[in-house]
Formats: sequence, structure tokens, C-alpha cells
Amino acid sequence: MSLQVDLALERGDFRLSVNGALPERGVTILFGVSGAGKSSLLKAIAGLQPCRGLIRFDDRVWQDEHQALPAHRRPVGLMLQRPTLFPHLDVAGNLRFAARRSGATDGRWREVVALTELQPLMERGVAGLSGGEAQRVALARALLTEPDLLMLDEPLSALDAERRQALMAVIARVGERLPVLYVTHQLDEVMTLGDHLWWLDRGGLREQGPLAECLAGLHGPLAAGGQAAVVLRTRHRGYDERHHLLELTLGDAVLRLPAAGPRGDTPRLKVAARDVSLALSPVRDSSVLNILPATVDALRDLGHGQCLVRLRCADQWLLARVSTLSRDRLGLRPGLALHAQIKAAALV
Amino acid sequence: MNVSPADWQALWVSVRLALISTGLLLVICTPLAWWLARRRRPGQALLESVLALPLVLPPTVLGFYLLLWLGPDGPGGLLARLWGGHSLAFTFTGLVIGSVIYSLPFVLQPLKNAFAAIDRDTLDMAATLGAPPWDRFRNVVMPLARPGYLSAAVLGFAHTLGEFGVVLMIGGSLAGETRVASVALYEHVEVGDYARAHHLALVLVVLSVAMLWGLFRWQRRPGALP
Repeated sequence: MSLQVDLALERGDFRLSVNGALPERGVTILFGVSGAGKSSLLKAIAGLQPCRGLIRFDDRVWQDEHQALPAHRRPVGLMLQRPTLFPHLDVAGNLRFAARRSGATDGRWREVVALTELQPLMERGVAGLSGGEAQRVALARALLTEPDLLMLDEPLSALDAERRQALMAVIARVGERLPVLYVTHQLDEVMTLGDHLWWLDRGGLREQGPLAECLAGLHGPLAAGGQAAVVLRTRHRGYDERHHLLELTLGDAVLRLPAAGPRGDTPRLKVAARDVSLALSPVRDSSVLNILPATVDALRDLGHGQCLVRLRCADQWLLARVSTLSRDRLGLRPGLALHAQIKAAALV
Repeated sequence: MNVSPADWQALWVSVRLALISTGLLLVICTPLAWWLARRRRPGQALLESVLALPLVLPPTVLGFYLLLWLGPDGPGGLLARLWGGHSLAFTFTGLVIGSVIYSLPFVLQPLKNAFAAIDRDTLDMAATLGAPPWDRFRNVVMPLARPGYLSAAVLGFAHTLGEFGVVLMIGGSLAGETRVASVALYEHVEVGDYARAHHLALVLVVLSVAMLWGLFRWQRRPGALP
């Protein structure tokens, strides 16, 4: 564990009480409806918002009942929804502000500038930057503080789809070295970037753990919003040129997916519960390409004649949304072996 | 131009007084404006009213109270005794003290507005980038408040230069010490020497216009901060 928090704060009627831990590295998505206290939590961890309780990182105490490290002494890189660059400095000046105070080396400087592709913008004033450019500067500046922890508060919400993709790739690379706490309620960002999840609900952490586990919960954050979906971690197997199908393996099974060309070694697949149907025997005469053997783990009645079924499938979780009538006809119950037909899945 | 050496001397006293007062005011008002701008505190409205009093009080009223305070029986007199004087009234030091009080709102207000306009998130960001409080103030707040500092300096300087009522009450008219340009001008008029009054007045007008012109030009400069 890297960051450990057990803190509480009040603001007016709002009460936040969070007890959580971040893994050594990887992107942890801080998920929650607006007003759940996500930004307040980030600010409390950064030392910008007074709170009570304990905050420690590895074996260093940032805050306990006796003392609180001021914000400028916490090794945290922060990036907000608005870029908040210094308007009196140019791009290079903004980066230098961070690098001088952290003592980042020239090598590190070059590495960060290359990662964020800022070289052509160095001499520009910050007023003329586009939203995507400004956020790249903000990210580079945060990285040049040599943080032990990177915290991002909806950093991509003001950007268009293409720039979001580009920056997500950069953030994912940062997450390979550092723990990253990432606030968002965009489903695509959750699926693409998330390794872990902190689900903030009604002023507390309702759930925390590996993303795939949390999403597959029958009472998970997406199930609550009626958009239940899981992430499958697959392996690249090959590409069928003739049918334009990407072949992926999931355990012993092979998944085939329309795609323009091959994608990385370990593609992630988003599978929505409504795109999964169930059959007791393997269907041979279906146009559905992906039919996997699975075992029912648990069921939840969603009301309105709908039922959410959690399935174990090649050591991963799958959710299926079926009608209560189908549940009764098929006799769905925990332990039942059946076949899951995946009607649609998206690479994320 | 027919400006006598005595008038030049009076102008120099005015400029010196304005420079010293403005410098002191910038130093005094920086922490005060910062403190007032950042958050509401109990008693703040009362304090701000007192500090703004020179805006509305007739200068002679202010001058009268200052005369009492700076005189031999006031705190100013006690202070003067520390270095062997017996009063701060009718001294250049007394004038500086009077000017600082009289021009304070003109320096305080622009600084306060400039500080209040600085975004909280920008300062928070500076903190997470590793800048301790003084560093944040010096390298973020002050550069961002630069237009405010310039307005404050010009307004403080111009207002002190034009001061008359207060000077008359506490300064008198000692050549080279407390006779400032506005008082010299008044004396020319009093004895009917309109020609010299004209010249001195013209110098003051040109000086004031030049300062304000410089300020507005700078504020409209393309690279100037909002």
C-alpha cells in the first residue's frame, strides 16, 4: 500500500469520512456522483483542505492528530479540471516553477517534456493555449514536482474525444510508475484507465478494490446507475484479415471482435450486462460469435422484471441482465453451469 | 518658464514627500491589503471604514487631529523627544506621517482589489508545486498583482503631491522643509503674484498628466496582465 487515509471533514451540512488505501502503483478511479465529495477528498489529501484524521504515505506521516504537513511539503502532483496555469509565466516558466522547487534533473525535464509532447509550445504564453495543450502543461508541471502520488480531478472533462484519448494514454503510462488517484464519472475513462476503484457514495468509501472486481459487484457503482458493465482482461491472439476480426483469448476460450487492425498485447474489453444473454446448452446455430462457458455466481432482482446475474467465466467476472421470466424458465441459481452469449463488446 | 529656485525647492519637497510616502504606503499596505482581501473576519467592516476615513473627511479636520497628535503634548511629541526634538508638527517627518495616513486608502484599495482577484486555485496549485507561503506571495501573488501595484503607486504619489489642507495644518511653510508646491502656489496667489502661480501650477499639471498618461498607456499595453 502507498497512500493510507482515515480522515473526516465537515463543510456545512456535508460530512465526509473516508478510510482507504491506494496500491503501490496503477490508476485508482475515484468514482462518485457530483457532490459526493471527490474534490474535497483530493484537496484534503493534498493538504489544501483542513481535515481530521490520519494520512500517511508508505511510512511517512503526512497528517495525524499532532501535526499536519503543509501542502507545499507533501510530494503530491495535482491537476484540476481547469488547468490553473500561472498567467504571468510562459509554458517553460510554468514548468520551471515546479522543476526548480523539486530539483528535477535535466534528464527528468526532457523525459516529461517528451512524454507530454510540449517541446513546440515551450515559448508560448499560456493565454493562447487550447484546452488540450493547457492540460498537457498542467500534467507536465505536476510530474516535474517529482510526486510520490499524482491526483487528477476530472482532467479531461473539457477536452474533445481525440485529445482525451491521447492524454489518457499518457496518464496510463504515468500510472505504471506511480499511484494515481483519478476523479471521473466518465465511463470510458473508468474502463480505459482504471486498475482500481474507490467508490465514494454518501460521504464515505462504499467500495474499494480492483476495478474488475468492483464493477462486477451486483451492487456496484454502475449497477446502481443501471449501466452495469464489466471489464475483461484478454490476451491478443491474432487478427483475421479476411473477416476483419480481432482474436483474443480469455482463459481457454477465444473471443472474436470486429476491429480495424491488431491492438496491444493485453486489450481490455468492456462488456455491458445488457449485451450478455444466457443459454443452458451451447448454441451452434447463432450469429453471435462469442459464446463462453460460465457458471452462475449470484443473482440480484433489479425490479421491473429485470434481474442481474453475476457469472464466473475463465477466472473473470461477467454480468448479464435478463428478465425475471428467463431466470425462472432457465432455473438460474448459483452454481448452475451455462453458456453466456456476448452480443457486443467494445475495446477500451 | 519662470520658476524661481524657491519654487523648484518647494516642488522638490513635494516630490520627495510623495516618493517617501508612497514607498512607505506600499510596504504598509501590502500585508494589510492581503489580510483584508483573503477572507472576511469579525470587525473587518469597522477597520475598513476607519482606514477609508481620509476619503471622506475634510483634510483640515484630519490635519487638525494630526496637529494635536504630532504636537509636543501628543504621542508624536513624545516620539520626537527620543531624538531630542519636542514636536513632529512642522517637520518633514510629521508631513510624511500625515501623508501616509491621508493617502492610505488610495494605495490600499487598488492592492486589495488586485489581491482579491487572484484565483484561490492558482495559489493552491502553487502550494502543491512546492512553494511555501512567502515564495507563493513573492512569485505568484506579486506578479499577478502588478497592475494593482502600479495603480496604487501612481494614485498614492499623485494624491500626496496634491495634498494641501493637511500640510497647511501640520507643516506650515518652512522653506526646504515643509513648504510643498501646493502651499507655495497658495502663497503666490495670496500676495497677488499670479504669474509665478501660473508657472508653478503648470508644472504640477504637466507632472500629473504625465503620470496618469504613463499609467493608462501601461495598462493598455498588449502584453499587460488583466
